[in-house]
Amino acid sequence: MTLGLEERWTLIDRISKATVTFGKYEHTLKDAIGELTVKPLTGIPVAIAILYGFWSVFGSFAGTLCTDGFFVKLFDGYWLPWIQEAFPGQGDLLYRILVDAGGIDSGEFVLSDNCFEAFGALTSGLFVAIGVVLPAIVIFYLMLALLEDVGYMPRLAVLIDTMLHKIGLHGYAIVPTILSLGCNVPGVAATRILETKKQRFIMMTLLAIFIPCGAQIGIMEKVVPDLLGWILLYLLIGYFIFGYILNKIVPGRAPEFLIDVPPYRRPLLGNIAKKVGGRIRGFFTVALPFVMLGCAIVSVLYLLGVIQFLGDLLAPIFVNWFGVPAETAGPLVAAFLRKDLAVAQLSVIEMTEYQMITAVVLVSIYFPCVATFAMMLKEGWKELLGALAALVVVVFAYGGLIHLIGILLGVA
Amino acid sequence: MKVLLMGHPNVGKSVFFNRLTGANVTESNYPGTTVDYTKGWMKIEGEDVELVDVPGTFSLDPKDKAEDVAVAMLHETKDAKVITVIDASKIERGLYLALEIIEEGYPVVIALNMWDVAWDKNIRIDARNLEKILGVPVVPTTAISGEGIKELVSRLKSAKPVEVDDIIANAGGLT
Repeated sequence: MTLGLEERWTLIDRISKATVTFGKYEHTLKDAIGELTVKPLTGIPVAIAILYGFWSVFGSFAGTLCTDGFFVKLFDGYWLPWIQEAFPGQGDLLYRILVDAGGIDSGEFVLSDNCFEAFGALTSGLFVAIGVVLPAIVIFYLMLALLEDVGYMPRLAVLIDTMLHKIGLHGYAIVPTILSLGCNVPGVAATRILETKKQRFIMMTLLAIFIPCGAQIGIMEKVVPDLLGWILLYLLIGYFIFGYILNKIVPGRAPEFLIDVPPYRRPLLGNIAKKVGGRIRGFFTVALPFVMLGCAIVSVLYLLGVIQFLGDLLAPIFVNWFGVPAETAGPLVAAFLRKDLAVAQLSVIEMTEYQMITAVVLVSIYFPCVATFAMMLKEGWKELLGALAALVVVVFAYGGLIHLIGILLGVA
Repeated sequence: MKVLLMGHPNVGKSVFFNRLTGANVTESNYPGTTVDYTKGWMKIEGEDVELVDVPGTFSLDPKDKAEDVAVAMLHETKDAKVITVIDASKIERGLYLALEIIEEGYPVVIALNMWDVAWDKNIRIDARNLEKILGVPVVPTTAISGEGIKELVSRLKSAKPVEVDDIIANAGGLT
């Protein structure tokens, strides 16, 4: 037999009266801290401080300490010269794909002198994966795990709720958004906590387009550190503008959210270690193979002249519509497969700061990586097609808008 | 035997799961960490038991996709036993879900989890009496430190389907 709603609650009431006694509740320090971080007046400054702290630790640990301080020296000083010598057949096709694409200087094949410009799977590919992306992912997930286990995320969700309602989402959308900053794949999975199809579609689309993953941020931090703030600002603005538009045009409901704000808890070291370890393993087994594959495919396409051809073909669009130099066309085409290295390639091209910002923003809002693509397909092919349509529109509309802003500011 | 871990979001189901199976399911202190189910194996008295970590759900009337997954999982495995994890400091609404599962005829064991938090909040629960009224095993637990987990597992075999009429009678009627 099953009960009706009323009957069930009556029964529960009875049971609880017979078995539970509620003592006097004492306001604890935890509660006081809890309130301070949720009330807007004190909560917003605290949130800004926490995010700023997050950001500075990320930059100094991943960028300055690990990448520049250790891996650049290791890879450029030892690994690159060694493998350039040890690998047979200098200048061969296989050599150029795996080790060093090199350059042609007055008819002679010359070797690259750093791992960023070699563009081989075993040099640039490995360096980017281990030297740049790994430290970024480790520190990101470590700090995220701390925030998660302490119980800060739901409080951040409450604080940002009003703002996210404007784009058809609610505070809890902060969870997939922040997860995506590590890797978009778990971010897409986390959209399941949103209630309606409309919300999940908006969230997935915005994640795929506007949220750069840890790998991309790590690379940007490495090659264009001074412009990173501007790039992220443009992405954030785009997130809200296009979220607002999507909310207006996508049919469906965007309900209020109800959330249990859990008490703050002391994080357990074991759990943090396990979680960070699991996520890093996930990144290396799910995402990295695609990255290496992409690196190899791009090298092949370069050698076959496909990228050059497409670049020349599309250069007028890039130059006239987006306002970036014609030389960027190649890297921007390659970015469909290889976002992170594309940023590295862009960084060595002569252009103004504003053009650089535009070009890097374009790379970020491009096609999601193959792993994210597969994850979105798993959530539904209709959603995926919709997201791709939105993507094409956004790349042109937002890229053009950034160009226009540049013209109006007189910097483009 | 197949055992499902069910309960509200953020009550510690994944913590139980990891402790019981030695697996690595992500645990966090926010509702909605688990959005898909994970299966694992544990041994009880020499028998292999399949344990499923089910996404959190407030009731058997799903409100989002993660809850859809949870309810579908329950309905697909008619022969399963269910460990219903309840936040002991919010016992009433946990009982709501537990009753729904009991009413559908599943053998249930109740874990009164976060016993330490309830204790700090000066909430005292007479677990024995609760067990007597419901007719299903009730075990106080603190999953994060592992307290009560052994007992919970040892009580699984005594879980049987219960008629809700009996619960009503034990509670002294509905009126």
